[in-house]
Amino acid sequence: MREINSQQAPVVIIGGGIVGSAAAYYLARRGVKAVLLEKNTIGVEASGRNGGGVRAQCRVRIERRLAMASIKLWEGLEAETGMDMEYTQGGNIRLAATEARMAQLQAEAEEELADGLYVELWNRDELRRRAPYLDSDHFIGAKYCPTDGVANPILATWGIAAAARKAGATLLTHTEAVSIETQAGQVTGVTARTPDGILHLETPRVIHAAGVHTPQLAQTSGVQIPIKPARVFVAVTQPVRPFFTEFVSTHDFGVYFRPARKGHVHIGSVGIFDETFDKSTPDYALPRLATAARLVPALRGVSFLRTWAGILAMTPDHLPVIGPVDGLEGLILATGFSGHGFCLGPIVGKLLSEMILDGAPSINLDALNLSRFASTVQSPTSPSSNRL
Amino acid sequence: MNPEPVHTDIAVVGAGPAGLSAAVAAAVAGASVTVIDAYSQPGGQYFRQPNPAVDPDPQEPRPRAGRELRHKAEAAGVRFLNRTVVWGAFEDLRLAAYREDTAQAIELQADAIILAPGTYERVAAFPGWTLPGVITTGAAQTLLKEQRLLPGQRIILAGTGPLQLVTAAALVKAGAQVVAVLEGASPGEAILRQPGQTLAAVWGQSTRLKEGWQSWRTLKKAGVPYHRGWGIIAAEGKDSLQAVRIARLDRQWRPIPGTERRLEADTLCLNYGFTPATELAQLFGVQLHWRPAQGGFVPRRDEQMQTNVPGLFIVGDGAGVGGAELAMVEGQIAGLAAARQVLGDSTLTRRIEALQPALRREQRFQQFYARLFTPGPGLDELAAGDTPICRCEGVSKATIVQTIHAGADTMHAVKAVTRCGMGNCQGRVCGPLVAAILAQETGQSPERVGQFRARTPIFPVPLTAFTVLTTEGAESAESRN
Repeated sequence: MREINSQQAPVVIIGGGIVGSAAAYYLARRGVKAVLLEKNTIGVEASGRNGGGVRAQCRVRIERRLAMASIKLWEGLEAETGMDMEYTQGGNIRLAATEARMAQLQAEAEEELADGLYVELWNRDELRRRAPYLDSDHFIGAKYCPTDGVANPILATWGIAAAARKAGATLLTHTEAVSIETQAGQVTGVTARTPDGILHLETPRVIHAAGVHTPQLAQTSGVQIPIKPARVFVAVTQPVRPFFTEFVSTHDFGVYFRPARKGHVHIGSVGIFDETFDKSTPDYALPRLATAARLVPALRGVSFLRTWAGILAMTPDHLPVIGPVDGLEGLILATGFSGHGFCLGPIVGKLLSEMILDGAPSINLDALNLSRFASTVQSPTSPSSNRL
Repeated sequence: MNPEPVHTDIAVVGAGPAGLSAAVAAAVAGASVTVIDAYSQPGGQYFRQPNPAVDPDPQEPRPRAGRELRHKAEAAGVRFLNRTVVWGAFEDLRLAAYREDTAQAIELQADAIILAPGTYERVAAFPGWTLPGVITTGAAQTLLKEQRLLPGQRIILAGTGPLQLVTAAALVKAGAQVVAVLEGASPGEAILRQPGQTLAAVWGQSTRLKEGWQSWRTLKKAGVPYHRGWGIIAAEGKDSLQAVRIARLDRQWRPIPGTERRLEADTLCLNYGFTPATELAQLFGVQLHWRPAQGGFVPRRDEQMQTNVPGLFIVGDGAGVGGAELAMVEGQIAGLAAARQVLGDSTLTRRIEALQPALRREQRFQQFYARLFTPGPGLDELAAGDTPICRCEGVSKATIVQTIHAGADTMHAVKAVTRCGMGNCQGRVCGPLVAAILAQETGQSPERVGQFRARTPIFPVPLTAFTVLTTEGAESAESRN
């Protein structure tokens, strides 16, 4: 392929998901016009294929802080960008079918309240009263967070990207970064393949936010990132008359469900992690998704319209990798969100812009640095408490 | 509630001419065959049977021929699952289906599968095309064949191909007032330009020619105007269709300025050809290729109609539009080839080879026919900015064009951002329309643009239908009880 272009960019962002788009947006708002490279179109991978949960509860502390700050941003994002993202705060219900699960939720609630996140613990009677649409025979209680909610993942990612472009960022779609160049421990540029040929961008800074595709490209600059693909499933029903507002999930049954604006109900799998890049829906995913009909009687006569799969970027401790890379000046990672990245997208984008413009982010992210994997000590996070 | 996965030597999906022919051939050769079909009676659209309550003993040649084929199948031991929709396709030649009348979930495992899914009618989007009273020609034909009902009082048929002619004649015979038949192409010119090819193609096609000639005579006798090189440019009406605006078309199917006319009608029947139904093929991972003369993306097949997926055969219009005669020959070949594979009976080879001349003859006719009746690019330019393209989700052409220019320049991205194709029809109606707009706006070829990707389930299915599938773990065991 011929080289078609050689340009300079103050920052190159790799990956047009919600994190890369938000970084481009917050940088552009402060006058830094980054170039974003997306190999397909905006938001067509995990950012556009998830359940759309925007939730602070049921996370480990560092993620909780990020999520609470992100929700503050979500609250103003549609007005600020002028884009419809179908964002609502309909609440989030985490169900417990066993005493052990309930005890876990109780412990979590104490931490959450201490961190300033308002949550409620419901016993079975309260659950019946507050969520009468559930077949509550299956559950002994729940934890509820009223400020959690949902957004349309596709429209949100699309909206943030459009706002970034409007603010001056350059978004190059169908443009696949193929290598990150370095010299003497410093990033010097990015080479990308476009439909018209090879594009070379000279840049001192790269934000690498390519989700599950991050490791391969990072290797071109000598960086090893422990990320594996994990396939998860979502189904959508035909529209029904709205009968609930909450994002509801249960790890005991391995399923979540939530309403969408036009009355469709999205149903997703929890805890099925196929290590594959294949985005088809295998047969065994379907009964799991149909479990929702057992838990919600109103869904029993309803039909599925379609299903899809998304590929998550999983790290060993199921926490994201965010921050600079030791020994390589100019490379900032924001990847491996392990299925929790959608809600965090806006705040992570903002913190990335602060790393570049202010030298350090306003929320300390040291715990999420790649260097944690160099040591033999792994984070004690329980993966199951951290799903979705 | 759930039966065990049903095993059959050969599963046939679709009971039209192709599927029935395949089933008969395979069953006569000795295989156990199960035919799954969405309708209440086998026959498909071509052999569509009248509702028994309306006409228990139809005498028209097509329903009769269809019933004969079905009786042959039954005599050979073919098992029919009617009113059963196949909604999923999985590894190891497994099909997931749902029987609508009994609300029963069915899983079928086969040693070979023959898909004969047929086609969807292609429509055009122009101002007013979603008004009540605008229907497809196939829908009019279904009403007439199955229920003996007329779709309206004053009827106009527009589009291309002999289906228009045949349906118009049937409507006239049933007592309808057909205002006009508009054929967008000018088939006479093509025939005159290439008389040799025409003769070669129609050789041996006496049944077809006779049917066409009889339809033509019926229309002439009733004084129905048949306009070649004319098309619809808009439909008008307040709550339902009142009139259509028509114009003479140039070779590219673009309206010629100054030729516009207005005709009053309460029903407009549209058919601009057919799109092969490739969803199950897609779910199985069949390689498709772009063959516009056969209706768009069609499966790659070998001479025995087998795809790149071993044991998976595809026949009939669903593998490339070619009409009932070609479909029946393909069905026989695939039925024999599948039986040979499943039973290990190499004596069937000779019979497969014996069908090759008939296959060639029908393929020749198909190629000739496609040249005569393929819409030009002007058809895709009729929609105005506010014309709905996706009627399920109410997405206008302007919204789609805007979204494409904002960077959503793939079929997937247009669907994701606009919701076009996310409704009940799963993009079957709007898919070709969106593809044409995308090709036009980005300057890409239709081949590169591609189509909406099929998703499981390919038809809406109750959540309860999913519980039949084999799964692992206690959770799934529980849900199967």
